[in-house]
Amino acid sequence: MSADAPAGRVLLETVDSTNAEGFRRAPHLTGPLWILAREQSAGRGRRARPWASPPGNFYGTLVLRHTDPPARAALRSFAAALALRDAFAALTGLPQVFSLKWPNDVLLNGGKVAGILLEAQGPVLCIGIGVNLIGAPPVGAVEPGAVTPVSLLSETGLRITPEHFLDALAAAYAGWEARFAAEGFAPLRTAFLAHAARLGEPIRARTGNETREGLFETIDTDGNLILRMAAGPVAIPAAEVFF
Amino acid sequence: MSKQTPDTDVAFIAALAELLNKNELTEIEVKREYGEDDSLSVRVVKQATVIAAAPAPVYAAAPAPAGAAPVAAAPAVAAPEDPSQHPGAVTSPMVGTIYLAPEPGAATFVTVGAKVAEGETLLIIEAMKTMNHIPATRSGIVKRILVEDGQPVEYGAPLMIIE
Repeated sequence: MSADAPAGRVLLETVDSTNAEGFRRAPHLTGPLWILAREQSAGRGRRARPWASPPGNFYGTLVLRHTDPPARAALRSFAAALALRDAFAALTGLPQVFSLKWPNDVLLNGGKVAGILLEAQGPVLCIGIGVNLIGAPPVGAVEPGAVTPVSLLSETGLRITPEHFLDALAAAYAGWEARFAAEGFAPLRTAFLAHAARLGEPIRARTGNETREGLFETIDTDGNLILRMAAGPVAIPAAEVFF
Repeated sequence: MSKQTPDTDVAFIAALAELLNKNELTEIEVKREYGEDDSLSVRVVKQATVIAAAPAPVYAAAPAPAGAAPVAAAPAVAAPEDPSQHPGAVTSPMVGTIYLAPEPGAATFVTVGAKVAEGETLLIIEAMKTMNHIPATRSGIVKRILVEDGQPVEYGAPLMIIE
């Protein structure tokens, strides 16, 4: 199956984690598959942080096979973020309230409304996406300094079902995957920069135990965050960004 | 096998060696065709120079993990230590950040001395918030772990040695 073939869809009442389910199903797949779960019993974010997953919010994974080198496959992080933003914009009619935080966070009025975690094992890539449609964890549940959790309902008054959200998201992702396949990273980079929060402003990037401060100058053609520090620009492939 | 006299061959090799020295080369390889099934192949290598001139690896060399066996005392033919050239080396397919455990505080995927099967996850490299499971490229024993948790790595950097 190629990564930009039409994607199938499956709805589960409950699952441990949609990404884990994606890897379990991957050997039997003939094409990309969206896995939607009403709830997750072991939802997780980056570095296995728990992702609270009560019913009503969106928990989905797109599992696909690709033939790209790992660094190129990882650029789908941006395709996912752009698709997520497009889905929000289409469903709310409020594109101006959504912005992007490198590499793949979508912010709503500056708050964290969704999370994306990509996991790759050889040719299989699972793009896990969680969206706070009707509820968000309390501020105290996230790390101090992290972006405040918000929900789509609390910020916009709109109540969207997970199935309805997937319709918009799957269509938007298919569009970005097709552009990525046809034109490479350039159009993704341009679109990301057009919607990036804090571009040109001071940010902090934490990698491991090291935190670097500088100006968010741009992202380069490999997707790296370019941080302008006193000593010059630094390209950062992996970090947690703080505003 | 050359049908030339051994003396001629020796003189030829000596001339190559002189050429090597005169031009500050480290290696010359020549094949002389005398006829069908009759040739002489000569490779002259200046070993000492090769070792002395071996460039340092371009990636930041990882400190050996605590408890790792020290590099064996140099045998008669000392080789420059470049783990990426080791036949059992698993090298990084990408730029990113290393995670030796699936989550902070958890047990590492593998330890030195562990037996691994081909395809088994050795570590994770993160880039663009994509967690890439790096598999063992062969079955064997983990002899060395050349990277530390949280460390940035470059493309091609040696990660582990599996024998």
